[in-house]
Amino acid sequence: MSKKVTIDPLTRIEGHLKFETTLNNSGVVTDAKCTADMYRGIEKALIGYDAKVAQQVTQRVCGVCPYAHAEASALALENAMGLKLNKNGYLLRNLIVGAYRLQDYLLHFYTLSALDFIDITAITKYQGKDSGLLALKDWVNKELKSGKIFPAAPFLPRYEAAYTTNQNLNISAVKHYLESIQAMAEIHKMVAIFGGKSPHPVAIEAGGVTTRPTVDALMKYETLLKRTKAFIKDAYVPDVKAVAKAYKEYFKIGKGTGDLLNFDFMPDENGENFLFIGGSTINGKFEALKDTKILESQKYSYYKDGKKDYAPMEQDSEHPLSWYEYEREQKKSNGKYSWSKAPRYRDKVVEVGAVAQVVNTYKSGHNPELNRLVDSINTELGIKLSDYNSVMGRHLCRAIVSLIVVDRLEKDLNKVVPGELGFIEKEVPKNASGFGFTEASRGALAHWIETDDEGLIKNYEMIVPTTWNISPKDSKDRAGAVEQMLIGTKVADANNPIELARIVRSADPCIACSVH
Amino acid sequence: MTRREVLKQMYAVVVAVGASSFLSFDDLLAMDKGEIAKPNLVWLHGTSCSGCSTSFLNVEGVPLVDILTEYTNVVFHPDISLATGHQVTDMLERADEYKDFIFVFEGSIPMAMPHACMLGDKPMTYWVDKLVRKSSVCIAAGTCASFGGITNMEGMVTGPKPLADFISYQGIKKPVVNLPNCPMKPEQLLYVLFYYLKTHNTPELDDEKRPLRFFGNTVHERCTRHDDFTRKKFAKKIGDEGCLFYLGCQGIVTKNDCPINGHNGNTNICIKAGHPCIGCAGKYFPRKIMLHTYDDKRPNERFKVIS
Repeated sequence: MSKKVTIDPLTRIEGHLKFETTLNNSGVVTDAKCTADMYRGIEKALIGYDAKVAQQVTQRVCGVCPYAHAEASALALENAMGLKLNKNGYLLRNLIVGAYRLQDYLLHFYTLSALDFIDITAITKYQGKDSGLLALKDWVNKELKSGKIFPAAPFLPRYEAAYTTNQNLNISAVKHYLESIQAMAEIHKMVAIFGGKSPHPVAIEAGGVTTRPTVDALMKYETLLKRTKAFIKDAYVPDVKAVAKAYKEYFKIGKGTGDLLNFDFMPDENGENFLFIGGSTINGKFEALKDTKILESQKYSYYKDGKKDYAPMEQDSEHPLSWYEYEREQKKSNGKYSWSKAPRYRDKVVEVGAVAQVVNTYKSGHNPELNRLVDSINTELGIKLSDYNSVMGRHLCRAIVSLIVVDRLEKDLNKVVPGELGFIEKEVPKNASGFGFTEASRGALAHWIETDDEGLIKNYEMIVPTTWNISPKDSKDRAGAVEQMLIGTKVADANNPIELARIVRSADPCIACSVH
Repeated sequence: MTRREVLKQMYAVVVAVGASSFLSFDDLLAMDKGEIAKPNLVWLHGTSCSGCSTSFLNVEGVPLVDILTEYTNVVFHPDISLATGHQVTDMLERADEYKDFIFVFEGSIPMAMPHACMLGDKPMTYWVDKLVRKSSVCIAAGTCASFGGITNMEGMVTGPKPLADFISYQGIKKPVVNLPNCPMKPEQLLYVLFYYLKTHNTPELDDEKRPLRFFGNTVHERCTRHDDFTRKKFAKKIGDEGCLFYLGCQGIVTKNDCPINGHNGNTNICIKAGHPCIGCAGKYFPRKIMLHTYDDKRPNERFKVIS
């Protein structure tokens, strides 16, 4: 007899996500449905606003990776303007988005994911002298004896499962879990130095970065960057590797389609030679990005337009279901089930994110430093590039990206010319259109803009990383990327389906982004 | 490090957010001994972007988790809690059992389309109504929860209501503190939490339910470029010195304490980053035209406040 296991809500991700799986007799997932449960409708609401407003509004699609939307939106408008930045413009933008990327990956690993692998209750057996850990130990012990309804919340209740019993790993990771919050706050300061504030940096505008880089600001950034680099090298990367060693089986669990897509990320000071090379791997074959053959299906999405697939910018309005129509779909066995749409690249279900960035850049051969790093990590862990298509592969790739980015930030920082403005002012172009592609923390991000004869927005569209990953089925009934990762997974205990939570969290879904 | 030293470190946060005028170190000791009860805390996301939660993690000095566990009992936070799936809905359903709890809400509540924000197969309207009724005090974290913000910009179809409007629409009487800012400033939320746990009351609020301490002045009044304004020295393009008024600065109509308490532990503010204030804490955020050129010739009505 088959059994349904539903997780609603999935916490420790961005936003409202529900997923429903069907398990067969042996506890193996045979079907999965991911439901993005939140809708705002930002892109079409932008119509009629000034083109420069898009930067400030679209970054508020997401409070976790706003930098990427700010950048994509600025790139789209610059594309419409036919504008190339000056050197400081490219460099300062890298310093903002690169730093933000590091913050986001620490947040994902420590705050959102680590305690799915690390046993927080191991703290009760802690014997050392670290004051932070002792305080936590006291607190947990007191809580467990308190007789409260939910003692030790927010750490309990949790899915009970076979967590690692490696006490050293548990303690060091919990210590870094606490320390990472300070490390992240410091990286946000790096973003704020040139971005104005973080989250939601204002200073990335079409034309460059509005902040004039003073010597003082550059030095402050450098101090924080050194500390960040130390945390990444001494805590984050070793912790990811240790978790990978403790959970080797997770290099086989959560396999996606294997087809990958990413866009260029972090140009040099001339706006060329990207650090990560955009491209696609389809059926194992890498190809540099030439065009974007994207079509979006809405067959299973809560919109009235489900009959055909749309190319980007083909629609200038959206038609969400009413409450009545929504309820009717809920009652159908094969009805619409998500606010997310289902984009497909060259008619393929692709996965986007750190794995796509690492694997595609590796295959492009354009970044020898990355290839050396990947080879050495693979030898250390006894894995192959194909193992990256897994829960642990996704965590590992974020660590690899972080190491590459942090080194690049040091180099870019030294190239900034102090005092020189990295911004070129240009009027909003009338009756123009443009696109901006970049990589967000969670993967390939694209914005498109069209302006009218007053420079106001005539149409706007975003296709966002998590839309690719947690998309529902498409018009050909093919399951989305995360749905495919879930199918085939064996669940040990249906009441504590930690395997499923680990898989979905490994994709770092961001629902606010995906639906916008 | 002794327990007392740990608490001293913790108290530095109280000082940093300006709460030491009413919360003493002795209070903290009493709390540690269990002589002062800690309030419970339940945090929910409506149609939000999680930016306020992310911002909340940025408290300086001591890990936020320590602060939360020391000063409150966090029953639920969507981005921190280990609870997943039905464990979450169980915790929320049992809200009646928590004595004295603070309800923090981020994002807004889609009224015209309840299905635009669901949790555990129930619309957000159900959860917010339930939790608000049982709570002692409600805090609207960020501009969306306070005024609607991005979620309620002209052109939106979900009919969102900010928290305070929802509460009065449901006919509930409950103290609400609005903390607009996009994203919310973590120090402001901590200040309100500390104030509540000491006094069981809200700090003094203005007509928009904002703490006067933070929202008593406009950005313009205390702006580092205010002198340029009085001397009529205006920036003509990004990068120029001078008041940014003619590039679209909203500081003149936006009440906020940015020039005194900047973002990210006072690291920077938008105006120091060479960018006009975008009025992110204002009631009319986002405006139809924000950053523009000095000689923008588009008709005046295009610049008007909407929403």
